[in-house]
Amino acid sequence: MSVQQIINGISIGSVYALIAVGFALVFNILKFSNFSHGGVLTVTAYIGFLISTKLNVNIWVTLILTAITGGILAVGIEYIAFRRLRKKKSPIIYYFISSITVGILLENLIVIFFSSNFYSYPRFFKKSIIQFGELNIATTDFMMLIIAIVALVALMSVIYKTKLGIAIRALSTDADTTSLMGVNVTIIIMVIFFVSGVLGGISGVFLGMNYTLYPQLGKLIVKGFIASVIGGLGNIFGALVGAILLGVLEVLLTSISFIGSGLAPVVIFVLTLIFLILRPQGIAGIIIHERA
Amino acid sequence: MSFIISIITFASINIISVLGVFLITGMAGLFSLGQASFMAIGAYIAGILVIKLGFPFPIAIIIAVISGIIFGLIVGLPTMRLRRDYIALVTFGFGEAIIAILNNTVSVTGGAMGLSGIPKHTTIWLAIGSMVFCIFLVINFKYSKFGRQCMALKSDELAAKSIGINVVKVKLITFLFASALTSYAGVLYGFYTTYIDPNFFGWTHSAEWIIIVFFGGVNSLTGTVFSAIVLGTLPEILRFASEWRIFIYCTIVILIINFRPAGIFGEYELNIKTFKSDIKNLFKKINSKSEIVTKG
Amino acid sequence: MGKGLEVKSISKNFDGVKAVKKFSMKLQPKGIISIIGPNGAGKTTVFNLISGIYKVDEGEILLDGFNINKKEQYEITRYGIGRTFQNIRLFKGLNVLKNVITAYDAYSKYNMFDATFLSRRKRRIDSEIRDKSLYCLKLVGLEKLKDEKPENLPYGLQKKLEIARALATEPKILLLDEPATGLNPSEVVDYIDLICKLHEDMELSILFIEHRMQVVIELSEWIYVLDFGETIAEGKPEDIRNNPEVIKAYMGE
Repeated sequence: MSVQQIINGISIGSVYALIAVGFALVFNILKFSNFSHGGVLTVTAYIGFLISTKLNVNIWVTLILTAITGGILAVGIEYIAFRRLRKKKSPIIYYFISSITVGILLENLIVIFFSSNFYSYPRFFKKSIIQFGELNIATTDFMMLIIAIVALVALMSVIYKTKLGIAIRALSTDADTTSLMGVNVTIIIMVIFFVSGVLGGISGVFLGMNYTLYPQLGKLIVKGFIASVIGGLGNIFGALVGAILLGVLEVLLTSISFIGSGLAPVVIFVLTLIFLILRPQGIAGIIIHERA
Repeated sequence: MSFIISIITFASINIISVLGVFLITGMAGLFSLGQASFMAIGAYIAGILVIKLGFPFPIAIIIAVISGIIFGLIVGLPTMRLRRDYIALVTFGFGEAIIAILNNTVSVTGGAMGLSGIPKHTTIWLAIGSMVFCIFLVINFKYSKFGRQCMALKSDELAAKSIGINVVKVKLITFLFASALTSYAGVLYGFYTTYIDPNFFGWTHSAEWIIIVFFGGVNSLTGTVFSAIVLGTLPEILRFASEWRIFIYCTIVILIINFRPAGIFGEYELNIKTFKSDIKNLFKKINSKSEIVTKG
Repeated sequence: MGKGLEVKSISKNFDGVKAVKKFSMKLQPKGIISIIGPNGAGKTTVFNLISGIYKVDEGEILLDGFNINKKEQYEITRYGIGRTFQNIRLFKGLNVLKNVITAYDAYSKYNMFDATFLSRRKRRIDSEIRDKSLYCLKLVGLEKLKDEKPENLPYGLQKKLEIARALATEPKILLLDEPATGLNPSEVVDYIDLICKLHEDMELSILFIEHRMQVVIELSEWIYVLDFGETIAEGKPEDIRNNPEVIKAYMGE
């Protein structure tokens, strides 16, 4: 496996990392897998496309506007789909179905407005490849890597170095006690969803740039999920590591000719299954114990 | 006339598939995002056996259903002891894997171009008869130790284990039963439409079934059947095949989850003995609620 | 008659916090003992270790001489250890009678074919189970409420239903987790009488957790006192009541 391939794998992995972290944030707090995140990815990917083509702006503005849209969308989803369930302390099964439904609804909205045509993002960069000695990296890939790193570092510093971060970490450990301590749980949750949506928005733009735009883009949420699982569900660093590994693994698999991209889902399924059997707690080794 | 026959046949087949999801999601509380792939397994295996290997239809059915159970074992055995999220993930991955295999084995399955020329062995009577029989089986399941243990583990898995229930085994048995039903529905489907292709059996189809179950009432078999008929067939009848259909279903489900999570039918089950008094009670409730609305 | 339940020096760590440190205890057949201690002392963790929800980090748990450390929760129940929960865990979606029936269902011997085809065997077994479950309800005085939803019952009756359900597992040993919590004084007396009756009639061994001393003093033959995961005292009720260490542990909280 060449260094070139590893670099490609890492840059795909960094996009998956953004998805995975956005996913892991919500899991940490509400303790369930937010499948609507896939819908957020799809919608923001298309919105980013609209922004960049209709408003004719460069990548930075696109990213910022799309990220904010993603954040608002996610907060809206929290309000419509999960707020009541939280107030009523509904069983987890309802969160699942609510998130899956929202995900499908969003995907369908895209199908309605854009039908199944393929669209693609405009070229943002004049030079499409950057060279480091003998290694090439697509400009877009390079951008994604840098921005992903910046976004994640920013997130980490908020979580570990600010008061808001302490509130978030407290909330993920024990929601009831945290609210009894005077923290406004609803606001914190809205913030979390906003951040998750922002990350989703950034990922959406990158996904849209990397692949052509199609309504089933949201399926890639599964990569984020798998990355989170590999890393240890809810653990943010784990999600990162898991995502990079997944990216590298994918590049490796697709380069094996008899697998190609056609049968890659089969191999990934088998590997995920084996991984879950051998080490369900992920790399970070966390099993969420139910309180007895 | 043939339009009505086709509606009834599709409705019956749809009900059988949704029964599978009722078992997995309604009774055991699990989410199988790849359930539609069992329909594909049933349809393709039976189809290939009959077209390419000349098997008689009844034998093909039996082999297809058994294959469905075997695949169910492959997915289910390692998975049923994992958390709910993981089960959703693995079944999703399984569904994708099956579709990938079907798309890439062109010589056997026709790949993305599908399998055509399947003889039309599914009559309306076979469909209706199967549906009634399957409902019979599922009702009996619900009112047996299996159904009760499912409800227990869905309600509180920890407590269920504490009274001696082998939760993993019960989940697996339920999952296998559902796989068998869904595979059978696939056979009926393939031998009615005479043409099948992999993309019909994707995860959105599986998710649609889950939506149907929640719409009717996740604990109510009556509700599920009702919902399968209404959401599955009404649009066809009313020629309401608009692109907004799924959007509307999703909106309805979100409203239901928020305001009436037990679904339209709640816990209610159709019971011939209490039918008359149930209808009377329903009218009484509607009257009193409308009185409150007009006076209040 | 077996040797009863013996716990030898078990410990449990959670992320560096030592919830239970080298705890040992013996429960003879037909005995009644209790574990008391201030909140957070590790009592419920001990229960969870015995019933198999958590696995011990060190030490042994022996049931009639047989090591059950590595057994699954449901297996441990089938070996004869039943329990109730501090925060009531009844099955919503099933009525009172069915909550008890599910405990018998776990041992029930008919298969899928019997069930889906409604065989004679299935009907016979389910009918027997129904009768046995009604009997369990009768033992706790709930038979008239058999069709009610458990969440509609008053708190005290929900606790009794949990006992009925635990009895349906035909246990040799019953673990009761903070049975008096949430009950008013007359309900507590009622509950204690029920436990005494069951202890006599069904020859059960009983292990209580309580943090209210008074409840436990009357009934127990032997008391273990936990604080911060360690046994700080053990003995007969009279000795424990006046033990200065115990009083300090409770006053200090």
